Amino acid sequence: MAFWLFLMSGLAVGALYALGGVGLVLLNRATGVLNFAYGALGALGAMCAWQAMQWGWPEPCAWALSMAIGLAISLGFGALVAPALAKREPIVKALATLGLALSLLGVMNLLWVVTPRRLSLAYDALSIDLGGLRITATRLLALAAGLAVTGLMGLFLARTRVGLMMRAIAENREAAAILGAPIRKVEALAWGLSGLLAGFTGMLFGDLVRLDPAVLTFMVIPIVATTVVGRLTSIPVTFAAGLFIGAVESLSALAPPLAPFRLASPFVVAIFMLLWLNRGRALTFADKD
Amino acid sequence: MKIKFAVAGGLGALVLGVSGVQAAPHCGLGNGQKATGAPIKVGAVVGRTGPDDFSSSARAAKAYFACVNENGGINGRPVDYLIEDDQWNPEVAGQVATKLVKDQKVVALVGNGSFVEMSVNAKLYAAEDVMSMASACAASECFESKNIVSTNEGPLVSSVGAAQWAVTKKGAKNLVCIGLNIPSVGQYSCGWTEKYMQSKGLKASSILMDPGSADVNAAVLQTVASGADTVLVNLPAGLAAGYLKAAQEQNLRDQFIWTSSTPLYDRAVPDMLGDYWQGHITVNIELTPYDGKGADATNWREVMDKYAAASDKRDTFSESGYLSAKYFVNTLLKLDPTKIDRPSVTAAIRAIRNEKSDLMCGPYYVGDGDRHQPNHANMMAEVVKGGFKIIGDCTDVNSAYLAPVRAEEKRIGLAP
Repeated sequence: MAFWLFLMSGLAVGALYALGGVGLVLLNRATGVLNFAYGALGALGAMCAWQAMQWGWPEPCAWALSMAIGLAISLGFGALVAPALAKREPIVKALATLGLALSLLGVMNLLWVVTPRRLSLAYDALSIDLGGLRITATRLLALAAGLAVTGLMGLFLARTRVGLMMRAIAENREAAAILGAPIRKVEALAWGLSGLLAGFTGMLFGDLVRLDPAVLTFMVIPIVATTVVGRLTSIPVTFAAGLFIGAVESLSALAPPLAPFRLASPFVVAIFMLLWLNRGRALTFADKD
Repeated sequence: MKIKFAVAGGLGALVLGVSGVQAAPHCGLGNGQKATGAPIKVGAVVGRTGPDDFSSSARAAKAYFACVNENGGINGRPVDYLIEDDQWNPEVAGQVATKLVKDQKVVALVGNGSFVEMSVNAKLYAAEDVMSMASACAASECFESKNIVSTNEGPLVSSVGAAQWAVTKKGAKNLVCIGLNIPSVGQYSCGWTEKYMQSKGLKASSILMDPGSADVNAAVLQTVASGADTVLVNLPAGLAAGYLKAAQEQNLRDQFIWTSSTPLYDRAVPDMLGDYWQGHITVNIELTPYDGKGADATNWREVMDKYAAASDKRDTFSESGYLSAKYFVNTLLKLDPTKIDRPSVTAAIRAIRNEKSDLMCGPYYVGDGDRHQPNHANMMAEVVKGGFKIIGDCTDVNSAYLAPVRAEEKRIGLAP
């Protein structure tokens, strides 16, 4: 019984990791950027939504505000900063997003004094009993959204012309440009979609984890572990990795010697998965290895 | 003494009510003259940015020093108060303390509030023989070091106080302590709470959470699996809010007796927790209520209103920071202002005996001992709609941990 409860609880947290991971992979596939500001975008969206709800805005408007903020900042960064870094190494691009994350965190600390806050959404009031564990509709929404986004993004990238161009640009930016792919427009679309997802995920994180700018900003770190398992390209593997990492993290609580190290679960899983996925391959330090 | 404070406070309120004029806070010499002499450098290390903002103690001390500087200073010398943020990072904590102690050469540290700073810097303070009159201490080194004395009680005494209340008033038989997985914080406070329960022939266990953990649900499930009848939430308020929300999600309110250590004693908490928890969770408070009517409680609020930002918290640790700063100023005012340096300040702080305030249940003192824990009596409050209801008077905490402290109090004549 305990195993089942902890597994279900872990999957609920894993759904959040998975949803975040999908947003990161989507952007990376189209632009080659690992966006460390993903958590901060979500945090800012959630904080603004909370503020709007404190002012009496209806909840749907708060959701829209969170996603609009994620969209606007991500799009702004993608349009104004990212093009200048297009030819730089991936690490430079990633560090630029880390700079954005820390800037956004600074703005949040400036705007909102650190005090205990709680973001409660209408879905929290609805729940189902699953083997003795109450699962709120908000957690189910996170899982459903993760599944839906994984499926839709897979279709989008595989079946649409824009998706094809995104894959082409990620593979070889120069060649795609020569073939006529509108790089700026396609990348802007990817930044926008990723920002929209960050805003949506931020609301769920703010509700299900806790409404704390620093905690939400650095949620990106375990999320990156899920994308590493998916090698920054596979959306379905990233989604599955998120669920698996959540389950491992939760089940570690059942083993007292492991419990104090639960926070390391995402990285331990990522390391073992990378070793497993690279089994039989020779490391040559050559390109694409 | 408390009755005198109450009468004085009541008369003051009556006079103000009649005149309709807001009272000016009283600080230091209280002569209304700006201090213009050579500044006296005083430091503070707080955990402002990180999992939680633990800086309200230094903000209150800063307000009090600003008030002192406008009221004669330390016999004409202003306090130059330097606050550093340790970012909840041990490495940063060491760097900023070294900067204050070795580079800035502060005469003392006042109002420190941190989960990591004291563990890192206790040896530095001892080596440099600089005293830290801390105000928001959480780690064991805070209360087990020769050069650190804190006005607050820390999570150990506050947790044991909450457990003691649950046992004596609610009949708790099996308690689970939910603490932080930070060395010398969670194990220290929850560990001694377990020992308290065992000393009464009762059961106890601990669940320790990482400060940045996203998965509070697992801790809630561990709580259910513990078999306890009482839950002691011993976490910073933000993390406690996440834990209690997850417990609410599982509708666990009526399955346990719920109590908490001091961090939940925050004005924002009752509304944040909502109707579900109101009337169902109690909180141990390390100092007296933040809306108290005593002379110091009133003066603390007036100092904060005049010299602090409106957004600065008025919580237990703010009260504690104010008191540390006040005791520090009282001590320095007795020194020759031309001979104030680190050795003279350290000696003067060690000589503090029997300072009293309506903000604390017992007297404050320092002494020459290798450990300091002047504050070990506390009160209980219940979370109700719109605030807190005091449900228990000042009660001394019964823990074997305090045996050396009580022996020292006996030695210096503070206890029979």
